[in-house]
Amino acid sequence: MKSQLFLILSLATLIAISARAQPSYEGPHPELTVVEDAAQRRAEYLQRVNEVITWRAGLIDRDPDPTKKLDIATISAKLVLKQDIDQCSERVIELMKEPGTGPFWMFPTVGVAFIGRDLLSPEAQASIREAWRTAFQLRGDTENHFAMYYTALYLMSELYPNEPGNSWYTGKSSEENLAESREYLIDWMDLMTTVGQGEFNPTHYIGEYAVPMIFLTSWAKDPEMRLRGKMALDWIFAGLAANTINGVLRGPNARVGDNSVVERWNCLASVFSWLNFGNCPPQKGYSFGNYYALAASNYELPEVIYRIATDRKDSFVQRDLKRSRHRWRYSDVGKAPIYKTTYMAKDYAVGSYQGGMADPIQTHVWDVTWAVPDPRGIHPTMFSVHPYSASKGMQMYFNVRPDTMVKAVAAEGKPSYDEPDKLVGCSPYEQVFQDLDTIVALYDIPQGVRFPQINGFFSKDLVNLTEDESGWIFAQGGETYLAYYPLADYEWIPHLGYRNLPRNGGPYRFERYDTGSKVLTSPHLKNGTIVQAAAASEFKSFSEFQAAIRALPLEFTLDPTPTVTMRTLRGKNIVCTYGEAPIVDGEPLDYTKWKLFEGPYLNAEKGSRKLTITHGRLKRILDFNTLTVSDTVMAE
Amino acid sequence: MTKLKIPLILLVILTATTSCVSNQPKHSASKHDAYISAAVNKSYVIGSRIVTVGGLHQRGDDGKWQHFGINDHSIFAMSFDPRDHNIIYTAALNGALRTLDGGKSWRIMTSWDITEPKDICVDPNAPDTVYLGHPGGIAVSPDQGFTWLRKEKGLPDRGKYTQTIEVDRTQAGRVLAGCETGIYLTENGAESWRRVLPTEETVNDIQQSPHDPNVWLTVTQSAGAWISRDRGLTWKNLPEVPSASALYNIAFDATNPQRLAIGSYTYGVLTSEDGGDTWADRNDDLPDPHQVWRVGIDPDTGRLYASVYQVALFASDDFGQTWQEAGLEESAVHSFVFLPKNQK
Repeated sequence: MKSQLFLILSLATLIAISARAQPSYEGPHPELTVVEDAAQRRAEYLQRVNEVITWRAGLIDRDPDPTKKLDIATISAKLVLKQDIDQCSERVIELMKEPGTGPFWMFPTVGVAFIGRDLLSPEAQASIREAWRTAFQLRGDTENHFAMYYTALYLMSELYPNEPGNSWYTGKSSEENLAESREYLIDWMDLMTTVGQGEFNPTHYIGEYAVPMIFLTSWAKDPEMRLRGKMALDWIFAGLAANTINGVLRGPNARVGDNSVVERWNCLASVFSWLNFGNCPPQKGYSFGNYYALAASNYELPEVIYRIATDRKDSFVQRDLKRSRHRWRYSDVGKAPIYKTTYMAKDYAVGSYQGGMADPIQTHVWDVTWAVPDPRGIHPTMFSVHPYSASKGMQMYFNVRPDTMVKAVAAEGKPSYDEPDKLVGCSPYEQVFQDLDTIVALYDIPQGVRFPQINGFFSKDLVNLTEDESGWIFAQGGETYLAYYPLADYEWIPHLGYRNLPRNGGPYRFERYDTGSKVLTSPHLKNGTIVQAAAASEFKSFSEFQAAIRALPLEFTLDPTPTVTMRTLRGKNIVCTYGEAPIVDGEPLDYTKWKLFEGPYLNAEKGSRKLTITHGRLKRILDFNTLTVSDTVMAE
Repeated sequence: MTKLKIPLILLVILTATTSCVSNQPKHSASKHDAYISAAVNKSYVIGSRIVTVGGLHQRGDDGKWQHFGINDHSIFAMSFDPRDHNIIYTAALNGALRTLDGGKSWRIMTSWDITEPKDICVDPNAPDTVYLGHPGGIAVSPDQGFTWLRKEKGLPDRGKYTQTIEVDRTQAGRVLAGCETGIYLTENGAESWRRVLPTEETVNDIQQSPHDPNVWLTVTQSAGAWISRDRGLTWKNLPEVPSASALYNIAFDATNPQRLAIGSYTYGVLTSEDGGDTWADRNDDLPDPHQVWRVGIDPDTGRLYASVYQVALFASDDFGQTWQEAGLEESAVHSFVFLPKNQK
């Protein structure tokens, strides 16, 4: 009787779960167990992929508004499931009468074109083809725009070969489009594999690269391009694996959002962690995961990458070389090197790059983040920023006139850009040094700079927050003890987040709301932040941690130049002076020796085009010189 | 679908109607054809659906601006082949484009490695040669845009961002380029360049006088306005023009050698009626804020145009003392071109 009841309850639960909009988003946090069996891993991966496709295919059908019509993503999902083919064909014809403009229209359309090539009616397929003749497509102005644009143009030109220039919006023949696209994509991969990724470690923009690459590896006719797509996915996901704890992305980001910089889980990167590693919940709505899922069954995550994400025991340091967004003017270099450091422990991570401008809008330079049992709704992070906002900074990276860009960026869905309390963005007046789990961030802001202040983020989820007489601010986040030393006077203000409001076809709209977290704001031009993190398990008590921090030798001056001399909790003697190379145990840091990747899991020489991915006995080498992937199981 | 289409059609009709003004003089007797490139894209971001029509427009005999060619708000500049005005080159977000049939069909002439060119100029004395100023420097096509060569000898490795490029109409291969670090001159078809005016920030516009080809004017982002009376070899600052904020462009009045106009987002419209010695603010009758994107002067009538950013195009028949709205609501005009009708 008991077992019957259990069975009935279990079935009822399953039915309830499957009827919910997003089982994995709304359900419990996944178990953090390593799936040893490859077949089971694959089956679970495909199950997650199917969850996305099934959810998307039913999105409009579930909508209580009967006027809602199928969109491209939903049509594509239905086609994958071979549902309502005639309805999909009709709707495609309707949609293609008003085609969109630019890469964000192009790649979804490529998706439906390829998935529907044996399913859609000839008329529907012809309508897609016709749209690619008549609708002029803007290429955009960022690296992710180009990746989407050229992958889409490449695939469509391959799908419709030998067609003349007057049959494409470009005015170029299929072969000319193909050659140009191929050349760009290879050049982009060359950059990524020699001097580092541009929009590195992105919380959201990972989708803008992963989706084109899954499409390329799935549908390119040219085996070389298929392989390049697959290798690029390995490269991207290896980076994701090494920068996550329990699926949540850590450390600095070239691009981040106002919300995902504090609620670190709540971003597209988590969808990819969930899909690939199964170790965190996906973001609501799966975002670009809807497009990725369409072709995701064509990619198999290498076990070595899976294990880097899910099967780590020891703390480690990973140093990577990345690059800034291209600087068109007002800079001595076009692509500035970004020296990224990540210290990953079991319960927390500390990550940073050296400061300065990586991207003018959405960069996140450094943070300490901690692990929590379930990251949804949690702000597991601590960091400080100078809220730099300047037209000149924009003009360095964008080919725009000086007067409109600042307002335009805020209007384009980055609402905090020109706000003094912002928490997203880098500054030319910030210099950061990291040694293991110690951060020293120094600021030397010239007179007259807009927003002359430092903002430090303090999470609502911290406990035992203590402003100590020593000048240290102590707190505990999860199983991590934190010590934050502001080098100048400060006050507290509430953290006001950004909540999207319905656009109704118009511009982006937001409202601000008190998240419960708070911001330490320090209105001093010469300034700095020191943060030391440690695992709670290292100390008998929080008091003992505080005592250990108070005992660290620490001296600093702000005038004429911010300088910190201190001993870290790990026993390193460091001297950081703004504008000079940091000194560790008497040795100046030499960034010129920085490799493309250096750590226990990812290793590559600068300029090598070759990444070695290792975990335990597993090794995979991605060699873009020879376009080979080699796997080795090393002897124990 | 029908429900959606009707409002869209109405919107298009409304846009077309409202972008044409009843206040226009008749232009059938004009000696010049007038063209503009305009962004009509308020609130647009990459990824949005474009519901407006922007790009190239030609002024009809009734004075109304008629769109033609691609719906592309990013056309920053255009240049015409003097032998055949149906051959048009544009500098746009996707690169340099060209039409051979007056805008019916287009081809993107550049590849992935040139993006967002800001200016394009056909050499009137060697019209197969086209000069392109772009964020990465300067490219030259010797064959009507089929091939492009980066010709940057003499330009700095860093500091060659090029905003404006203008060919001297008196000599083939003599070109002035406005870059991030100043004005550069070539006299040998871009085989080599030399700096003739250093600046700290970008040079935004360079124009040659229609009255005296030796006279050139330039405006900059932070160094004010300058005049050259020796074909661009030496430059003298115009001290009456403010320089704290960017000046976007400058225009000569072909009907009156003493009249000049400057467009500026900060200063609005500035005019001079004594060849640049003194300047007057001509914004009283413009909407506030008078954020002017570009000015242009009709060479037949001396009518002054001012594009107020994402508000509308305005026109003045008394050189800025009074203004009337002249259509193109919510637009920003990137360039004005007036072509002699008898040329083509």
